[in-house]
Amino acid sequence: MKKFLAGAAIALTASVFVLAGSPAEVGAKEFLVTGAKPDKLLVIDAKAREVVKTHTIPNAAPGLLTVTPSPDGKTAYAIVNGWESVSGIDLDSGKEVFRADFSKKGVRSKAMFGMDISPDGKELFVFLSPVKLGLGEYEVQDVHIAVYNTADGVGAQPVRTLPAPRRTALLLSSTDGTKLYAVSWDIVEMDPKTGKVTGTHKIRNWGRENYSEPDVLDVWPQFEQSGIFSTPYYAVRTDLSPDDPAAYKTGLVTLDLKTGAFEAEDFEDTSVVIFSSAINPVRRNEVYMVYTQLTKMDRDKHEVVKRIDLDHTYYCLNVSKDGSEIYLAGTMNDIAVYSTDSLERIGTIQVPGGADLALASIRVVDR
Amino acid sequence: MKHVKSLNKKARLVEKALEEGKVEEVRAMQVVAGCSSTLDPGWEIDPFGGVAGLCQPMEADLYGCSDPCWWPAQVPDTLNTYPDWNKGADSAQRDWRLLQAVFPKK
Repeated sequence: MKKFLAGAAIALTASVFVLAGSPAEVGAKEFLVTGAKPDKLLVIDAKAREVVKTHTIPNAAPGLLTVTPSPDGKTAYAIVNGWESVSGIDLDSGKEVFRADFSKKGVRSKAMFGMDISPDGKELFVFLSPVKLGLGEYEVQDVHIAVYNTADGVGAQPVRTLPAPRRTALLLSSTDGTKLYAVSWDIVEMDPKTGKVTGTHKIRNWGRENYSEPDVLDVWPQFEQSGIFSTPYYAVRTDLSPDDPAAYKTGLVTLDLKTGAFEAEDFEDTSVVIFSSAINPVRRNEVYMVYTQLTKMDRDKHEVVKRIDLDHTYYCLNVSKDGSEIYLAGTMNDIAVYSTDSLERIGTIQVPGGADLALASIRVVDR
Repeated sequence: MKHVKSLNKKARLVEKALEEGKVEEVRAMQVVAGCSSTLDPGWEIDPFGGVAGLCQPMEADLYGCSDPCWWPAQVPDTLNTYPDWNKGADSAQRDWRLLQAVFPKK
């Protein structure tokens, strides 16, 4: 352990130079940003396989949930404090530059995963579920999206709220910032200024003939490299016998955040559990999916290209900008690096102190 | 509801909502009012009816599922009532012996 900590200290010292780049150096280097229990924000030099910064977020326990980097890669916003706060941390200094606490006297508000930032970095969108606390009962309040000005810093209050569908698990800003998508049972498209619903991409309510309603679990935002949101779904063919393996389908939902193109297509008979997926930003037909297996799927052909067993389950993943590396994260205390070509393991990044990553997102920033 | 009998006032309200076609107004499953309002069976079996599809090892999934109240029946409610349950046990695989049972405060 001592040896390991010493290594981390050297890495921290080196990082002062690594991260102190000017905006002119944007694109020079990629860093992974994720969180570890109970209050650590990790900045990782992806190619060097090194944790270069370990920042402590004030009042963050039991851990970090969604992590959203600012478009300029200088700040990361994390849902913390039992999901009752969002904290913005300067990735260079570790200073808390933004904080919004959701709960007020008598009303407890939790942010369950859904968070994104406008492409200009000025507004932060957080999905909130408030509950009024009575003496002997809870009174459920309307869920909504709280919009914060990132410039308001510590103690920020919402500048406006937008109505949102219940069960929203992810918020996605379109590439041009004119649309905000709330991923719930369906994907609801709205105007981020007014909340006016401008469209719906049906998932749960797809009404596909001879199919059950699809089941989707997705709480990990990892679309920034390709600009395409993706998530697996599971559905059952109702026209086939329940004991026919072909009756159980796994498919992929994709939403292009630039063009708005939406697709939901089966790609295999369900054979493994998959939690989350990310699309290769270079070979854009390739999508990688993770849980206890790592899967490469060709989304043009709708077929699995390769699948390998992992050493343990990982919840989430991201892809390098050059499309060559996959970073598996979440759950335990390491980030595993795999080749997108071969799905061979090419590296491991250990979390300093050995803390679990648990539910924290894995994001990529350019610096 | 033929084989299920409500035991308390709130359960009767749920039953009444069902009878009156107001079930859409019952939202307990989607609101983090307390861990007891979430119900996900969690650890028992995977979607295939076995255990191979569960997180491997179980410790990989412990905090990912307990911190957001995913498994209310198996672990303390760290989201609201016992926020410090896993304090000081940041690695489930290494520190699981530090995790203790909890008891209601008197």
